[in-house]
Amino acid sequence: MTDRDKTEENRIKRKKTVTTLLANIGRVFLDFLASTGRVTLFLFQALSQGFRPPYYLHQILRQVWEIGYLSLPVVGLTALFTGMVLALQSYTGFSRFNAENVIANVVVLSMTRELGPVLAGLMVSGRIGAAMAAEIGTMRVTEQIDALTTLSTNPQKYLIAPRLLAGVTMLPLLVLVADSIGVFGGYLVSVYRLGFNPALYLQQTFDFMEIQDVTSGLIKAAFFGFIIALMGCYHGFNSKGGAQGVGKATTYAVVSSSILILITNYLLTSLLFEQG
Amino acid sequence: MTPKFSLKHLHKSFGQKHVLQGVNLEIFPGESMVIIGGSGTGKSVLLKCLLGLLHADKGSIQMDGQEILKESSTQQEQRLQDIGVLFQGSALFDSLTVWENVAFRLIYAQHMNRKEAKLIALQKLASVGLNESVANLSPAEISGGMQRRVALARAIATQPHVLFFDEPTAGLDPIFSSVINDLIRGCVNELGATALTITHDMKSARAVGDRIAMLYDGKILWCGPADEIDTCDNPYVQQFIHGSATGPIHLETDLQHVA
Repeated sequence: MTDRDKTEENRIKRKKTVTTLLANIGRVFLDFLASTGRVTLFLFQALSQGFRPPYYLHQILRQVWEIGYLSLPVVGLTALFTGMVLALQSYTGFSRFNAENVIANVVVLSMTRELGPVLAGLMVSGRIGAAMAAEIGTMRVTEQIDALTTLSTNPQKYLIAPRLLAGVTMLPLLVLVADSIGVFGGYLVSVYRLGFNPALYLQQTFDFMEIQDVTSGLIKAAFFGFIIALMGCYHGFNSKGGAQGVGKATTYAVVSSSILILITNYLLTSLLFEQG
Repeated sequence: MTPKFSLKHLHKSFGQKHVLQGVNLEIFPGESMVIIGGSGTGKSVLLKCLLGLLHADKGSIQMDGQEILKESSTQQEQRLQDIGVLFQGSALFDSLTVWENVAFRLIYAQHMNRKEAKLIALQKLASVGLNESVANLSPAEISGGMQRRVALARAIATQPHVLFFDEPTAGLDPIFSSVINDLIRGCVNELGATALTITHDMKSARAVGDRIAMLYDGKILWCGPADEIDTCDNPYVQQFIHGSATGPIHLETDLQHVA
């Protein structure tokens, strides 16, 4: 084989590699667009069915109980320890600049704007998103969803719409509780471990906190609740192939909702706190 | 007589897998039709096409002379009001008690109050041989045979004029299978309903069917009165009903459908 032939062969190989790479990127992009389309269609169907009577009040209340009340311990504990760690770490950092007095401000701002909604969202995603995908996925593979249809009950109205509604309404309430417990955790560490004056700490907390800090967190929480319910329902509703399919649906629900929460958090933060 | 169901040239494929390849069948009012066939021959797909759970690719399905392949979701919901279905795995709702499962359509689709619905559910449970003690249990707390009876009670709770049974005796012991067969026959006779049963259990097919049709290679291969199936001269039917390993039906053919 001459040098010229070798060069030509290398050129063809390189061309093939680039083509394969581009084809893979294109395939991933097309898959992403197709998935987005399917989720959007699913959402529209659920919403269009959800707004029409009859409304399944019993199902809505059950989801409110599951998402709102039963998630309280896990969200509360997460917020408590986050607030406590936040106070400790802030003290370590700010004491280097003799700025320990801003700890109350840092705790309340971080909890209400970011950590409260994001951590509550991620914890609820793990607890509720996974449970939704597993329950609806099992209903799919055991023909319970087909049975619903044959019993003249629209599955999207009966299963999906109540979960979406409960997700959107319950997450803000959970975040409100998480904010309070997180701030309380910071207070406990600051007062009982770091020796802060309790009255002064509370005064600084309330003086510095603005209503917008709390409302922005609640708006984020409503979006996160919607994302968690949508991903849990979508992956469960479309699961296939027995126990393995349900397992996959559960994983996809948690992973996709967690990623979407982080992306949405950035977008909402830049939208809500955009500087003139 | 106008058929209750009329299927013409029905086709359904999943990618390269051609499951139904021109099914023609008529089911008359008050008749109990049984469709037999090996695993993977498309019996359940055919049933789901009739219910509207799967959309056929080609052909026509008429119920009472009305084309159902072009119906809207509202029309489908209305049509299904008069159809009761017993699913292969019972498909009871885990989150509800036994009586709530039976009364599901009464409460959620017909908006009957719960007290009244419970009374009817208890009557239906009694008609399938279950007493009040199981009514408040969850489906997970009762045996597979009892679950099948509850599913049957749910299917007949609103006294529908059409009943579909998907492998009603699958996974049950011979005694429970006979009980379910007798219950199905009883329910169909009592309601005067048109029934379609999908099964590969020949004992069940003979017990519940007025007519039997055999589905093979995506088409109806033979259709005739239940008492003539043993004397018919179709070699495929003969091989199937005798469960013989040798004959025109090859396992590879079935596997191609499954693959």
